[in-house]
Amino acid sequence: MAILELEHLNFHYRTLRGAVRAVDDISFEVEKGHTLAIVGESGCGKTSTAAAILRLLPKNVARYDGIVRLDGKNVMELSDEEFRKTVRWQGISMVFQGAMNALNPTARVGKQVAEPLQIHFDAEKEEAMARASESLRSVGLPEYVERSYPHELSGGMKQRVVIAMALILRPGLVILDEPTSALDVMTQTNIINLLKRLKKEEELSYIFITHDLALASELADEVGIMYAGQIREIGPSEYVYPSPKHPYTKALLKSVPILRSSESPISIPGVPPDLIESPFACRFHPRCSVSFEECGWSAQEFADILERLRASGEDGGVRWGEAEVEDDLTLVLKPEDGMDPVTYRKALEEAFHEQEESTRAFKAVTKVEVRDGGVAVTLHEATTPYMIGEAHRAACLLLRKGGEKDG
Amino acid sequence: MGEPLVSLTGLTKWFEIGGGMFRRPLHVRAVDDVSLVIQRGETLALVGESGSGKTTLGRTILRLLEPTDGEIQFAGKIVTHLKDKDLKWLRRKAQMIPQDPYSSLNPTYPVNKALEEPLVIHGLGNRQERWERILTALDSVHLTPPEFFAHKYPHMLSGGQRQRVVVARAMILDPEFIVADEPVSMLDASVKVSILRILKEIQENLGVGFLHITHDLATAHHFAERIGIMYAGKLVEMGPHESLLTEPLHPYTQALIEAIPDPDPENRFRERPALPGEPPSLVNPPAGCRFHPRCPIAREGLCDVEEPLLRELRPGHFVACHLAE
Repeated sequence: MAILELEHLNFHYRTLRGAVRAVDDISFEVEKGHTLAIVGESGCGKTSTAAAILRLLPKNVARYDGIVRLDGKNVMELSDEEFRKTVRWQGISMVFQGAMNALNPTARVGKQVAEPLQIHFDAEKEEAMARASESLRSVGLPEYVERSYPHELSGGMKQRVVIAMALILRPGLVILDEPTSALDVMTQTNIINLLKRLKKEEELSYIFITHDLALASELADEVGIMYAGQIREIGPSEYVYPSPKHPYTKALLKSVPILRSSESPISIPGVPPDLIESPFACRFHPRCSVSFEECGWSAQEFADILERLRASGEDGGVRWGEAEVEDDLTLVLKPEDGMDPVTYRKALEEAFHEQEESTRAFKAVTKVEVRDGGVAVTLHEATTPYMIGEAHRAACLLLRKGGEKDG
Repeated sequence: MGEPLVSLTGLTKWFEIGGGMFRRPLHVRAVDDVSLVIQRGETLALVGESGSGKTTLGRTILRLLEPTDGEIQFAGKIVTHLKDKDLKWLRRKAQMIPQDPYSSLNPTYPVNKALEEPLVIHGLGNRQERWERILTALDSVHLTPPEFFAHKYPHMLSGGQRQRVVVARAMILDPEFIVADEPVSMLDASVKVSILRILKEIQENLGVGFLHITHDLATAHHFAERIGIMYAGKLVEMGPHESLLTEPLHPYTQALIEAIPDPDPENRFRERPALPGEPPSLVNPPAGCRFHPRCPIAREGLCDVEEPLLRELRPGHFVACHLAE
């Protein structure tokens, strides 16, 4: 049974430059007692997804809708007060990234762990302290820690304190946001072992947010790969790791230096996109090594690519003239030095064809014709990718029925 | 290769803490009696947990810190206690790539100015020559077209591009040696490798020697010829990357390797062996081998009494452990 189900969850922020689509139509489920790892690069919206689930909203929220079902009940319908009282921390709690450095340096650890119980749930002091000490014990901390101040503890112990805080109300689901990213390898292993033990003994479910695919595999029963605010591939670890479907997942797995392999890691060209002006259709297409005409090339993007090629002198003998964007799919190139448009058209067409493997945008060219003393280039219309598959699914047009297109 | 570029003999750096009119100061023994050689055109990765002294060692070699004891030889010259005036030579030959590309570039300097500054300080070239060197440096880190990037300000660049600028700045004086201190730990997985490749190209094509400081053994494995392992201020093992990883000789190195997961869905079904405890205090390190309180095979009366010295157990593979064979 699923403990958490998200359906079409959206969470956008308002900024001066426009809306940041940090969580863009996300759907997934977390089974009871299972761990879903959400893996992605910085700025892909992993932490925002957690914030959206826990309804930790900033003031500049532009859009927040969708369904979040906890134990079968849509908690999006609850008022803020009800949500705070019944869901946050009791149903779903969270270990925030870097939280161990946010412990109050002036209060003893036991008191800090107990405090939320007294403030939010009107617990008596003795009861709160008893539960705090029980929680601290369950994460393997010795008794003296209760009376210690944070500065007296090591990083690993502080991280255990933060985990104890998340467990104090015995939630069914814990969101772990990079729970070991500031810790040394050895301490990281100890914390992960603890999380494994708690998962087994307490039947906890986790959402494990990380940028590290190797670390994700330490806990994940299912993996979701996020890119530019969207889940692009999700499925059981047994399927995703050995046979990834999405080109981004494949590239990401190849980019990780692996200790027990001599195969050299390969980087992904380009940079992760902006969440305000994300690429059209498939957001990964500008960096994808197998993209084709339908993946989302726009006339503006095409013009920018030509400009970049020209500036770096990689135009292969053809002088791309000034490009003028006419509409989403059409741009007009003007030949330089009074070149005959007919000859120019022919040169362009050949260059697009010859270089389409190295510059994949050229695959999107459908028509090259002489017009108004220049050459009009028309691009193929894009198709937005959708999730394909059942238990293991990914959003890539190459997975459509009828097999692969173009390799 | 084969020609030593940097040789350290018993290099030691202690920091003084506390102390007052009537109290004796204490010493943090950050780097203690480290000897090693880095060849021209090779990358030595120095791996260790935080507080193991790896960054202090890197900074001391560059003479950004004054060594407490021992000797540093650079390109055949002893530079251990060179005075500021004579240090300018070393400042040109040896460079540093810091960790954080967001804080190591002046936000008010465009890229060309950031790259020109070292040339101006060292009085190299006229305006035109400097401009050409800037373009060459940008080209060498694949920021192409260089003219386009030369006029950008740091805030207009991504993290990966900034770090390339930092690498270009380190390259502009044609150094022979570069200390790269966690050069990619702040970057995303997909861009990490591209920066490491650039460093590798610089090493191979221009014969620059690298000391690559990292906590990531997997990165060290793929981008360094040799790996040195540091623990609590000591170099505990050093050797060719393959043999160090396939046949680690020091129990600490063995534990470190065990602790690092590879992407594998089977991982979740078992707990990973991990060492008990924490690295020791560097003010008052354990007697004998500094690793003995956490060591699974430590022998009483030996490991807690006598300090192990680095021994060459396999060709080019050194270990400081009494019990390694």
